[in-house]
Amino acid sequence: MFNLNDPMLYVFAAVVILFVLAQSVFFLMKAWKRGKELGIDKKKLRNVVSSSALFTVPSALSVLATVIALAPALGLAIPWVRLSVIGNLMYETTAAEAAMEAMGHQGGMAVPVSDPVIYAGIAWVMSLGICFSLIILPFVAKPLNKKFMSAGKKEEKAQSDDGTKKKRGLGGFINDHATPAIFIGLIGAFIARAIIGAGKAETFGDGAGVLSIITLVVAIVASIGFELLAKKLKLTWLEPFVMPIGMIIAMIAAIVFFNVLPEDIALLEWRG
Amino acid sequence: MSKKTEKSYFDRVHSWGRISSVTALCVLLMFPLSICLYYNVFPPINGVLQGLLKLIPTYWTVAVVEVIVYTPMLGAGGTYLSFVTGNIANLKLPCAISAMEGAKVKANSEEGEVVSTIAIATSAIVTTAVLAIGVLAFAPFLQAFTESALLKPAFAQVLPALFGALGAGYFIKHWRISFFPIIVMIIVLVFAPTMGASTLLFVGIVASVLGALLMYKKGWI
Repeated sequence: MFNLNDPMLYVFAAVVILFVLAQSVFFLMKAWKRGKELGIDKKKLRNVVSSSALFTVPSALSVLATVIALAPALGLAIPWVRLSVIGNLMYETTAAEAAMEAMGHQGGMAVPVSDPVIYAGIAWVMSLGICFSLIILPFVAKPLNKKFMSAGKKEEKAQSDDGTKKKRGLGGFINDHATPAIFIGLIGAFIARAIIGAGKAETFGDGAGVLSIITLVVAIVASIGFELLAKKLKLTWLEPFVMPIGMIIAMIAAIVFFNVLPEDIALLEWRG
Repeated sequence: MSKKTEKSYFDRVHSWGRISSVTALCVLLMFPLSICLYYNVFPPINGVLQGLLKLIPTYWTVAVVEVIVYTPMLGAGGTYLSFVTGNIANLKLPCAISAMEGAKVKANSEEGEVVSTIAIATSAIVTTAVLAIGVLAFAPFLQAFTESALLKPAFAQVLPALFGALGAGYFIKHWRISFFPIIVMIIVLVFAPTMGASTLLFVGIVASVLGALLMYKKGWI
């Protein structure tokens, strides 16, 4: 009888995870060394590490929740690998459903896969379906990255040669405004979804509603509040942690308001 | 610092990145292959192709868009790391943005490259550790924890919390270029409320960049 919790499946998964971990440690060490060569203050680099770690924990827990959501049908090994390599909170559930259906698994996400042929097929579909970025990345990352870096530098040079800042070329735009504009587009998309986006009618929490607005507002107010506090009291150590703290406070607020508000208001999602 | 040193650092990052991407691809595909060999089973190719046909039109198109859109923002090291470890839009990119804001460095500078790589590597290590500890040490209690009635609202609202916290400082700092893309996205969502996250991101980023470019050309920013 096929066992979804066969220890060998965990061994296979662990090998993949160890590779990911090793790669991250390698890049971290190289960037750290380069940072020191560039004269970036060690304290600043340490702050980047600690604030990034704090920023990651709540999201990592929600990724873990997705692993658990997939576990009844697939066990823990496949979701663990899929959410650790390329995987994405939003794609993996869809990918698992499509793979199960194509491989003839009856009962969907609630019924454990009991046939190793189906299990292997699902592993192939989920792995191949998501791997395209790794195929194209070695070809396009360098040219894209270089173009972006050099456009800004060319403009800077042109401006310093002229001794004027009046030119409004594409390079200057890329140098000063393209990155903020791209970031705002990205952040704004998720904020717009929290205000007016629709989810699945049967799922709580995936569409815009009372709770998503409350969470959003608390996150914004808390972040601004802590930012002002850090500046006013000159707490420079607090500045890198403003965003992670704002995020955690907003998630706590979601719990509090969910329990305090009447049920029909707390669960209200205006577009499903 | 000489230009030569700078160049060689980026070239080295891209060499490491290319090698690690190809290796990651092999390691990833070794997983289903190991399952097949261990159980001595080989799934029908038709079934696998049928499954892939449902995913490839969307996922592979999204992959192309994501590589083009995210690469300039993540920096060289951050790009290779992010595309191997995943969860880019909802975790790695916000983490890199937050770190660069905190460290007061620009994304298209070498300092930005270093800070972004350190932030994304840290995020990847922490995520891997949380998942590994969660899966290996707490497997029996995990479901009770992540599905507990108390914590469920927090997990359901992780994206508004994350992007609200991230957006607050960013919108205040760049308020002039913030209105247009948000209004565009709200209008888009009014008419297409179920639009997928990737498509909406693409629309948002295009609207934001075009709006900012227009304002820049007019001399408003």
